[in-house]
Amino acid sequence: MLAISLFVFLIGMMAFYYILRKQVDQNINLELQNRASSITKEFDAAHSYANQLSNMSDTIIITPLKNFQKAEKFSDTLLLNPETKKYVLYREHGFVNSIHGQNYYIQIFKPLEESDRLIVRIVMVMNLLVMMIILTLIVVNRYLSRQDWKVFYDTIAKINNYEVNSDKAFELQESDIKEFEDLNRVIVTMTKRIKNDYLNLKEYIENASHEIQTPLAIINSKMELLLQSGDMQEKQYKSVAEAYEASNRLSRLNKTLILLAKIENRQFPELKPVNPAIMINHQLESLEDLIHSKKIKITKLLDPEATISVNPYLAEILFVNLIKNAIRHNLTGGHLILELTSQSLKIANSGSSTPLDPEMLFKRFHTSSSSPESLGLGLSIVQKICTMYGFQISYRYEDELHVMQVNFSKA
Amino acid sequence: MKILIVEDEKPLSDSMVEYLSEEGHHSEAVYTYNDAVEKIRMYQYDCAVVDINLPDGNGLDLIRMIKKQSITLGIIIISALNSLENRIEGLEIGADNYLTKPFHLAELNAHLKSINRRISYGGNNQIVVNEIRLIPDEHMIFVHEVQVTLTKKEYELLLFFIANKNKVITKAGLAEYLWGDYMDLADSYDFIYTHIKNLRSKLLKKGCEDYIKTIYGLGYKFEIN
Repeated sequence: MLAISLFVFLIGMMAFYYILRKQVDQNINLELQNRASSITKEFDAAHSYANQLSNMSDTIIITPLKNFQKAEKFSDTLLLNPETKKYVLYREHGFVNSIHGQNYYIQIFKPLEESDRLIVRIVMVMNLLVMMIILTLIVVNRYLSRQDWKVFYDTIAKINNYEVNSDKAFELQESDIKEFEDLNRVIVTMTKRIKNDYLNLKEYIENASHEIQTPLAIINSKMELLLQSGDMQEKQYKSVAEAYEASNRLSRLNKTLILLAKIENRQFPELKPVNPAIMINHQLESLEDLIHSKKIKITKLLDPEATISVNPYLAEILFVNLIKNAIRHNLTGGHLILELTSQSLKIANSGSSTPLDPEMLFKRFHTSSSSPESLGLGLSIVQKICTMYGFQISYRYEDELHVMQVNFSKA
Repeated sequence: MKILIVEDEKPLSDSMVEYLSEEGHHSEAVYTYNDAVEKIRMYQYDCAVVDINLPDGNGLDLIRMIKKQSITLGIIIISALNSLENRIEGLEIGADNYLTKPFHLAELNAHLKSINRRISYGGNNQIVVNEIRLIPDEHMIFVHEVQVTLTKKEYELLLFFIANKNKVITKAGLAEYLWGDYMDLADSYDFIYTHIKNLRSKLLKKGCEDYIKTIYGLGYKFEIN
């Protein structure tokens, strides 16, 4: 900043010097020209002394003084230019000189016109120079501050895009400005702490889920044994049966949560070309009972050539969850339409006549009233898998069908 | 059938021993890797149920050792780890089945029986329960020596019932055996009922006694006196 200002100032000074120099030269030239023309005139009127000198700068007025009453003075005065018949501003110097005891008051003149012009030009050049410096400084300043704020905006953008579960390191640009450096340092510390907390929590959940499996296995096995012992009354039987049902539900829930955590941890790195058409057909076969029991009519438009590059296990989970969902929320005797292209998979099903809230749809444990038995994690898993592969999943309600669409193209 | 149970959680191990003993199997429990190695070297078993995470070793290593020494032994892995990799690895090194904890004892029992059949009879076997004769490898069922045509699910259902005869079979256990992880169990209860209804009526039509008893709110029982 300082260097640039000094540089601009130096350039300005040099420019100022040359411009001024030129102006002064011009001025002197003009004066010399004036003198030349007056000399020429003098030559022309060699003998007419009566003629007043055309150039007043050559005029000297000498007035004898009776007494010593006048003092030295400088003043402005207007004199008539005999050629142009115009009054011209002159600077006058009057002083007293004594010759042979006689005092004389002597007045000499210098035209102000030329120097006036010079002053005006100097002022103009000065103004120009100052304006140039100011302008340059503004431009430089703006450029520099933009550089500084760039760091700030970069920080804001990075905070905005910050994902606590991403593997990318959170790094901020360095700045010369102390405040921004402070800000960045605080933010980096904060994100590190948040990330650590998050990882701890995640690890805790994972460990907890795994540790829960074994006690659950014990509970389930003991209850299964209890159910085999025939010496229970019906009331007790019922209690055990209900407890058994609940612990089964808990184990399913736990398995699903472990799966979700695994997807989030990206523990399915292996990618393979998967043919969704084959997979979907196979799944429809496996779900045959479910489909028959609800008397659902299936329309398939599957491109057998379509392939996507995903983890086969996750692809299986993705499709089966979408299909199961479309069956579960279907009406008895309803429709299920499957459309697969190399770009997208569309699953449309008949169902309740009111459109669902897309905001709530993918939330964990969001279950519709029509199917209270479901865990409400299916679509959550679907969304997790889609996010992982950059697939776009959307829901819409059209022609009385609930449509789930997955676009395979990366966002 | 002689079964070795390698599981470090004693209560779970006890449950398995109890259930399998009621089925007439002779089952022994060990709680550590080293004990398991010793038992396998000293005695002969038909089947082993192996947990992966043992306090002093890995169940998978135990399976590798068994296979290396060419010991004929049916193996079922039981593990809290429900990942595809573990499952694939387990089956690749020679396990016959992989069950994720928590599992149903009835399911374990059914798998053990089917492994046992494969090992001990080399495929040429049949199951006879009173008037029912079942040839598992050909998926054929006879009632009073008259063949009955069953769907795949009905057949599996019958097999599961016979394996766990005289036991209370919960709907959840049944569903998990028949459909695996494919559907939320809640969905499948309705058509378990449909399949059982069809199976029962097909058997009854051939003059089979009605063995399938419904236990209200809980499940079923295949009752043979």
